[in-house]
Amino acid sequence: MSDASVLNKKKFSLQGIIPWIIPLAIILFWQLVVSIGWVSSSVLPSPLEVLKDGIDLTIKGELPQNMSISLYRATVGFVIGGGIGFVLGFINGLSKVARLTFDSTVQMLRNIPHLALIPLVILLMGIGEPAKIFLVAIGCMFPMYINTYHGITSVDHKIIEMGKAYGLNRSAMIRKIIFPAALPTILMGVRYALGVMWTTLIVAETISASSGIGYMSTNAEQFMDMKTIVLCILIYALLGKLSDFIAKNLEIIFLDWRG
Amino acid sequence: MKHTTRKWLIFSLLVFWVAAAGYGWFLVHQEDNAKLKSVTIGFQAGDEFDIAKSRGQFAKKMEKKGYKVKFKEFQNGAAMMQALATGNVDYARVGDTPPVSALAAGTKLTYVAAGGTKEKGSGIIVKKNSGINSLKDLKGKRVAYTKGTSSQYMLLRALRKAGLGVDDIKWVNLDQDAAAVAYSKDKVDAWANWDPTVAQVELTENSKLLVNGKQTGAVNRSFIVSPAKFAKNHRSLSRLIIKYGEQDMHWANTHHAKVIKLMVKDLKLSKNVVQLAVKRRVFGIYKMNDEYAKEEQKIANTFYQSGILNKQVTISKHVDYLK
Repeated sequence: MSDASVLNKKKFSLQGIIPWIIPLAIILFWQLVVSIGWVSSSVLPSPLEVLKDGIDLTIKGELPQNMSISLYRATVGFVIGGGIGFVLGFINGLSKVARLTFDSTVQMLRNIPHLALIPLVILLMGIGEPAKIFLVAIGCMFPMYINTYHGITSVDHKIIEMGKAYGLNRSAMIRKIIFPAALPTILMGVRYALGVMWTTLIVAETISASSGIGYMSTNAEQFMDMKTIVLCILIYALLGKLSDFIAKNLEIIFLDWRG
Repeated sequence: MKHTTRKWLIFSLLVFWVAAAGYGWFLVHQEDNAKLKSVTIGFQAGDEFDIAKSRGQFAKKMEKKGYKVKFKEFQNGAAMMQALATGNVDYARVGDTPPVSALAAGTKLTYVAAGGTKEKGSGIIVKKNSGINSLKDLKGKRVAYTKGTSSQYMLLRALRKAGLGVDDIKWVNLDQDAAAVAYSKDKVDAWANWDPTVAQVELTENSKLLVNGKQTGAVNRSFIVSPAKFAKNHRSLSRLIIKYGEQDMHWANTHHAKVIKLMVKDLKLSKNVVQLAVKRRVFGIYKMNDEYAKEEQKIANTFYQSGILNKQVTISKHVDYLK
């Protein structure tokens, strides 16, 4: 093994550690603050207590079940919303007529807060699963739309000219040039949408839910069960990180051709 | 990371994700049963129907009569009234205030039953060392309450009893969880609330009930309301629900230890908190009568006079006595 590769390996493992320094430091500091008694553990439970709560709930089966149910709602909402956003963004990116017809409507809908939509969603979709999935879908639609649209409209004109010079027809042009060139931005949209997916889900799970992580935390809020509240916050953070990790790696896998 | 390793890692993560989501789908949809007529009952944590649900007898008895009971939990009465207005809930167990506000807002609902009161566990809590010893001492103090809930009515009644005006205190409108933190950190001086939160605060925050609902007349009774049209067409179903509900409540009053155990597990509160709350509460589900309707009318009048509601409501027009 050459010196250079050893050095590289060291650098690599260091790179793996650095991102976790701040979260770890926060948790250690937090444990310290509670252990010393600066903050009463009824206001802010210590990380160990939270971990214990997590283990208890896992053994009881409550946590895995609620997480699965949340994952189901999140995933279906993401697939539907992200799919619609992608198709709309794609069409609007390619066709000026479609852009003129749809774009400003989408932009208007985009900024409506989800909380404000709840009464309307209940009215239209009831209080069952469709309502929750609908909200998540709405949330995921816009980042996908904006990024797909942006990705397609900002493809370098020179490459398009080159495709034309090669005599590519419209469908080959889309498949071979426009889509691959727009892919990095589209995948960025996937990352954003995955983030929004979790934040919308907690709002969606306040609509008469009796299951899910959002339900667990709002239920805990009612009785100031701080351990479970903090646990749910941490789970959201971890799930967010996990989906970001997946999206980032998908980028690396799909964009391999860039070298 | 090597490329193939990365691919496998991501692939297995995705498979796991989809499998977990599939399990979630199964959990959500397993209880669909098409043969029986379904009845949706809205409830809140720790209330009469929560006990009936945890005990399990109620659903079984209803199934024998051909009804599949679906319990839907809500965070607060206002959300339940929304679901009721759109026909998503057939029966809703709420506090005394949300139906009054809903009626004033034009929701077509009918009172089909009344529950017990929480008069000994509802009221205004203060810290023992706060120097507030009587209602008069509240003058100029910050008092937390939640708009649209019974706490608003409690405060109005308490002020009237003390001979104080509506503007003599600082009203701080906070949700339950925000109010809990504000109270614990002394950002508010008093808090109008009800059990089990009152019991919890009394035991953990060195606090006392300055005045309870029995003294102010804000008894905080539960009610079961239905969409007006549904109530009219399902009177025999309403009778069944009262009958079986009443049986569960009788059980709850005579089996405190078991109720406490159920609620400790369900609400994740400590045992002594639940004990205090359960011991001072009488559970019940009764047919409506004039006395209960009058209690509600008082709320409607007080709210109308204070300008909280801009419409006068006649409660007795919206009651089914099920005679």
